[in-house]
Amino acid sequence: MASVEPSKTASASAVLDDMALVQAARQGDMAAFEELVARHRDKIYARAYSMMRSEQDALDLSQEAWVRAWQRLDQFQGESSFATWMTRIVINVCLDALRRQQHRRAESLEELEEEAGGVERFMPVVTVNPTAGLEREELRTRIDAALAKLSWAHRTALILHSFEGMDYKQIGQAMGCSLGTVMSRLFYARRKLAALLADLKEERTES
Amino acid sequence: MNARGILLKCLACVAVGGLALTSPAGLRAADLKLEAQLIWGTNESRSPNPKHKAVQAEIAKRLKDLPFKWSHYFEVNRQRFTVSAAETKRVQMSDECEITVRQAEDGQVELVLIGKGRRVGKVVQRLPRHELLVLGGNAPNFTAWFVVLRQAD
Amino acid sequence: MKFESQLQLQAYLDGEMPEAQRREVEAWLAWDPEARALLNELRQTDAALAVGDCDLKLPESREFYWSKIQREIRRLETADSVPDRSGVWHWLTLWRRWLVPVGGLAILTVALIWGAWFSGRPNSLEVVLTSGNGTTYRDQARGMTLVWLSFPAENRFPEDELDALLFY
Repeated sequence: MASVEPSKTASASAVLDDMALVQAARQGDMAAFEELVARHRDKIYARAYSMMRSEQDALDLSQEAWVRAWQRLDQFQGESSFATWMTRIVINVCLDALRRQQHRRAESLEELEEEAGGVERFMPVVTVNPTAGLEREELRTRIDAALAKLSWAHRTALILHSFEGMDYKQIGQAMGCSLGTVMSRLFYARRKLAALLADLKEERTES
Repeated sequence: MNARGILLKCLACVAVGGLALTSPAGLRAADLKLEAQLIWGTNESRSPNPKHKAVQAEIAKRLKDLPFKWSHYFEVNRQRFTVSAAETKRVQMSDECEITVRQAEDGQVELVLIGKGRRVGKVVQRLPRHELLVLGGNAPNFTAWFVVLRQAD
Repeated sequence: MKFESQLQLQAYLDGEMPEAQRREVEAWLAWDPEARALLNELRQTDAALAVGDCDLKLPESREFYWSKIQREIRRLETADSVPDRSGVWHWLTLWRRWLVPVGGLAILTVALIWGAWFSGRPNSLEVVLTSGNGTTYRDQARGMTLVWLSFPAENRFPEDELDALLFY
């Protein structure tokens, strides 16, 4: 890696597109990389937070992801957008952290129940649209609250599928699990989310 | 006497004292009588394999008390064996599954699961009478397998 | 409805199904109201998720957030290029003559304390998994320890078996 000496000002970097900034950063232009960070930091932080559900973890891991991106800039060839590439990095960083956390503790019965499967076959089908009449931001908040109640494995599968647009195979590769596990986790997450949103609708109606 | 000599003497004293403290005869167990069961969990009320038996009521109850999705459990194989203090016992549970069991330190039992000739996992823990040590995992067609180890009567 | 059938509906919704099997599922949906209801629930959940993530803003200023990243990048690049003359390894190199006896004494001391601690505990659990992932659960009331392993059947669903899994 070239020595770290900025040669462009921040204002000059602001008018360049992402690919140009990446190319400049590859040459050691720290200001260019800083502009990339400024442009995409909210999105990367938000993805880390959605997976980790902890502000501090999201801050630490998103920064780790940026450092990793700096070290691997040569690997970005523009086959996807920089934002997509960067999002994949932070997802992998978060998955590594979640696996380390999982191995450090024995899980509760509830979490084991989620992993082994079972309750989703008992859940009654939600027939009423629980999101009707909700403002967009309110719906986002409800969904975020419901996602927080899932285990990391189910939440991650749902995030990768519904927010990152990954297919089953890609999710399995990212999470290091079989297609069967991906399908089970996704199914559980969706059914649990539907039940949680329905509960929230009932609370809202009663109040 | 130089510092090195003093240090080595201290080390020797600690080693002798440590051995005296940590090798109680009581930790050396007698022969341990165990029972291992290979169990299949499924939602089907009948097993397609006529050799499968109904799981013992006590075991079935404990498995059904867990929030697993499987409603029926079948005994694929049951083995009783004895493990002496210095021995590692190898027990074949099925064509693809075998376990090794030995008495480990501090009164614990070491259970190693071998699937298709490959080591899958090892668990080391105490196994008091009437307690169960259960290893489980997914089997094809969304069923499950369990290896249940306990002390035999 | 069998769990496998429920997953078929999900795969149908997600477009993870060959065309021939899609038509079979559509024929099934035509006569089974339970299947239609479940599919509808899955669709509604997807529609709710389509609004996207919450718009979170980074709770730190641009400069502060960047400063930590920049510091870490510089630290790593400096560590790559300059031998560490101030770290632990350098100190150990100087004092290696004492390392073996002092280290041995430390290990023995820790082992004695560890053994004394464990001998008083009712049960210790060491789970070492040589492959795959495992989840441990201890139920004191039922006198049961369960170790759930994601092996081997998880890995029995490679892609070429997916058809058989879904469409038997």
